[in-house]
Amino acid sequence: MTTAATRREEATRAAVEKAITHGGPKLGSLAFRLLLLALLVMSFVILAALLADIASSAWPTFAERGPSFVMNGLSLNPATAGVWTGIVGSLIIAFIVAILAFPVGVAAAIYLEEYAPDNRRTRFVDTTVRNLAGVPSIVYGLLGLAIFVPVVRGIGLGGSTGGKNVIAAGITMAALVLPIVIITSAEAIRSVPNSIRDAGYGVGATQWEVISSHVLPSALPGILTGTVLTLARAFGETAPLLVIGVATGFFSPAGDATLLDQLTGPYTALPVVVFSWSRQTQAAFADTLAPAAIVVLLTVLFALNGFAIWLRNRTEGRW
Amino acid sequence: MADRIGTTVDSVDHTRPETLEDASPSLAATRSPRVTGGTPSDEHAVILELSDVNAYYGDFHAVDSVSLPIREKEVTAFIGPSGCGKSTVIRSINRMNDLIPTARIEGAITYHGVDLYAPGVDPVEVRRRIGMVFQKPNPFPKSIYDNVAFGPKISKYSGDMDELVERSLTRAALWDEVKDKLSDSAYALSGGQQQRLCIARAIATSPDVLLMDEPASALDPIATLRIEELMYELKQEYTIVIVTHNMQQAARVSDRTAFFSVDVKEGQRTGRLVEFADTATIFTNPQHDETEDYITGRFG
Amino acid sequence: MESAFDTRHHYDDELDDIRAALVELGSMVAANIRRAGVVVTEGRLNEVDAVIGADRPINARYHDLEEKVFTILALQQPVASDLRFLVAATRILYEMERSGDLAVNIVKQVRRLDGVPTDLRLDGLVLRLSDASARMFDHAVEAVATMNAAIGIGAEQEDEETDTVTGDLFTAVTERQDAIGLEACVALFYIGRFFERIADHGVNIAQHITFAVTGEFPDGDG
Repeated sequence: MTTAATRREEATRAAVEKAITHGGPKLGSLAFRLLLLALLVMSFVILAALLADIASSAWPTFAERGPSFVMNGLSLNPATAGVWTGIVGSLIIAFIVAILAFPVGVAAAIYLEEYAPDNRRTRFVDTTVRNLAGVPSIVYGLLGLAIFVPVVRGIGLGGSTGGKNVIAAGITMAALVLPIVIITSAEAIRSVPNSIRDAGYGVGATQWEVISSHVLPSALPGILTGTVLTLARAFGETAPLLVIGVATGFFSPAGDATLLDQLTGPYTALPVVVFSWSRQTQAAFADTLAPAAIVVLLTVLFALNGFAIWLRNRTEGRW
Repeated sequence: MADRIGTTVDSVDHTRPETLEDASPSLAATRSPRVTGGTPSDEHAVILELSDVNAYYGDFHAVDSVSLPIREKEVTAFIGPSGCGKSTVIRSINRMNDLIPTARIEGAITYHGVDLYAPGVDPVEVRRRIGMVFQKPNPFPKSIYDNVAFGPKISKYSGDMDELVERSLTRAALWDEVKDKLSDSAYALSGGQQQRLCIARAIATSPDVLLMDEPASALDPIATLRIEELMYELKQEYTIVIVTHNMQQAARVSDRTAFFSVDVKEGQRTGRLVEFADTATIFTNPQHDETEDYITGRFG
Repeated sequence: MESAFDTRHHYDDELDDIRAALVELGSMVAANIRRAGVVVTEGRLNEVDAVIGADRPINARYHDLEEKVFTILALQQPVASDLRFLVAATRILYEMERSGDLAVNIVKQVRRLDGVPTDLRLDGLVLRLSDASARMFDHAVEAVATMNAAIGIGAEQEDEETDTVTGDLFTAVTERQDAIGLEACVALFYIGRFFERIADHGVNIAQHITFAVTGEFPDGDG
């Protein structure tokens, strides 16, 4: 029996159903999703093609030469030339960057985040640091040539290159990545919850005790991740090194050179090796050795990025 | 009383008899009831005195002229609607407000007669004596042991640290639950346990006073009741000041209650103290209509 | 130390204290009721003031406890069995205080009986009545002490004895009207009525406990 009440209920049900149910897939949103997917696929395809091209060019070198390609030094003979000199140079540069940019950058970040009063001067410094991070790397090369090279020479570390050596290169690269170290460290410090600071102050800790015991340990994973990524950047940069006189041709360090001689003598870096080989007139250098060197460089960079991701994952989600 | 027949006995005689034993019964073993909560005596000395305290954030007048005494070994509760300045006042007691650059306190807060805002007073030393427990449990991302030991370590505690950690955790009613996992991360504990850990951390430095800023607002009801019970135990040794937005909580745990309200003038919300009395009075017979309206839920 | 930490240990203590104080107050009243019975049946005029005096601490205790219950209601927000117990406690307090007043009223009648010729039948009935009402009251206090719901359920039947004896007493007094005089008659009517009321209060107390324990009031006019 259909009473008025049940008829009303049915009408309500129908009205609600109509209001909350849509008629089918919305065409506009579907098209947009497909477009985004296509763009994503396209960028992956380009990247993959690039990698495949390089890998296929590089493959014969690795197949024929094996580890000797990595372990050999520079040579004019494509059959024996290797990237070892470049790897060593890049590692030394990265090491100098790490010991200079990391402490200075973290200290600057601590000052900016924890100590500096929130006023116009601090905001100006903050903005300047951010702008510096965006300055083209070649400008840092000019800075290195104008300041760091003479300084290195001036303090007696000029050696046979007159200051155009791996020390000046390291300092220049440190200056290049310093703003990025400061920014990422400041972000990491800022992301430490204030409740941790309150807790420290609440039990009677001084500001330095709070920072050293709680803020820095909590921010360290973020700081380390950022620093590793900046090292990868320093590892891959070429332009500033070219400006401050990296060796782009063949050189052979004296067999009995002291460590100081090696540090102050001519040097090269992995990306510079790629650069100079690809400009060689001998086909072997440009066509097979340069792609192989690129593969080595990419491997190192991927490893560094992977390390950074591992660091972040290991420490994420602690609050 | 209408059916009282032929009696002249004065039944509203409040005087206690000389000896109750005279009239004592033979029927049942009895024990005299001890004084229950909510009826504090005036025997407790005043340990903190707020005199005409005004708080500002920049140009904003947050709290207007609060004066009240806080007695030792009692629980004093601050209640009131949002923005009434109760948190500002409690954070000014151990100078946590110093950490907010624009914050400024006028008036005097004396601790054992010493003005905490006098020049030369070291806020770090103040906070070692007036500890704080915060709204959200905020253990350090370290082990349970290290959380408790941090305060004593920085204040150069020279005694047996293991013993102090155990004692603090026991007092915070957490020892039995964590004694087998002291080196585990504090984050492995539940919210209620974390908050008790924070209380243990606060009492490890042997403060006189514990300030609790809405210590149970992030906890479930059972964890809340545990914290409240703990406060009842802790007041045997410590003076406790608690800010709570939960009126029933203030009623349950405190000996004295301060009710704050907020005035809105020219868009500015300024908190002020409306009424301060023993908790039983506030909740059974408040003297101000504003208090009555707030605690009966008719305003706020 | 398992279950080391009751969540509302302190509140539970307060409730226990209220119950213990109720038992103590009930015991004080019960003692005074028995004493009033002795004063009446043995005509001990010299003890009248002692019974009246003993009611003062009872009243003081009553007011004190009433305030405590009131405070707990206000501050602890009791619910369920705790709420029933505290509401029952306020009623029980009232019943106890009234019973104490009735014991005082009873001894005040003794002076009117001074010089009235001894009558064994009347003395026997008063003795039985005072005894029965005192027992009823004791039983009620026991119900409070043990939180025994059964006592309240059986209380109406148990109280029938008091009603019967009271009826017998009134009949006997009416028969002896001429021998003992009008004033003694009135005094004995009051005494009978008061003892019966005490027993009724006892019944009510036990029934309040039944309500506190079970949430239901026992059948009857309660």
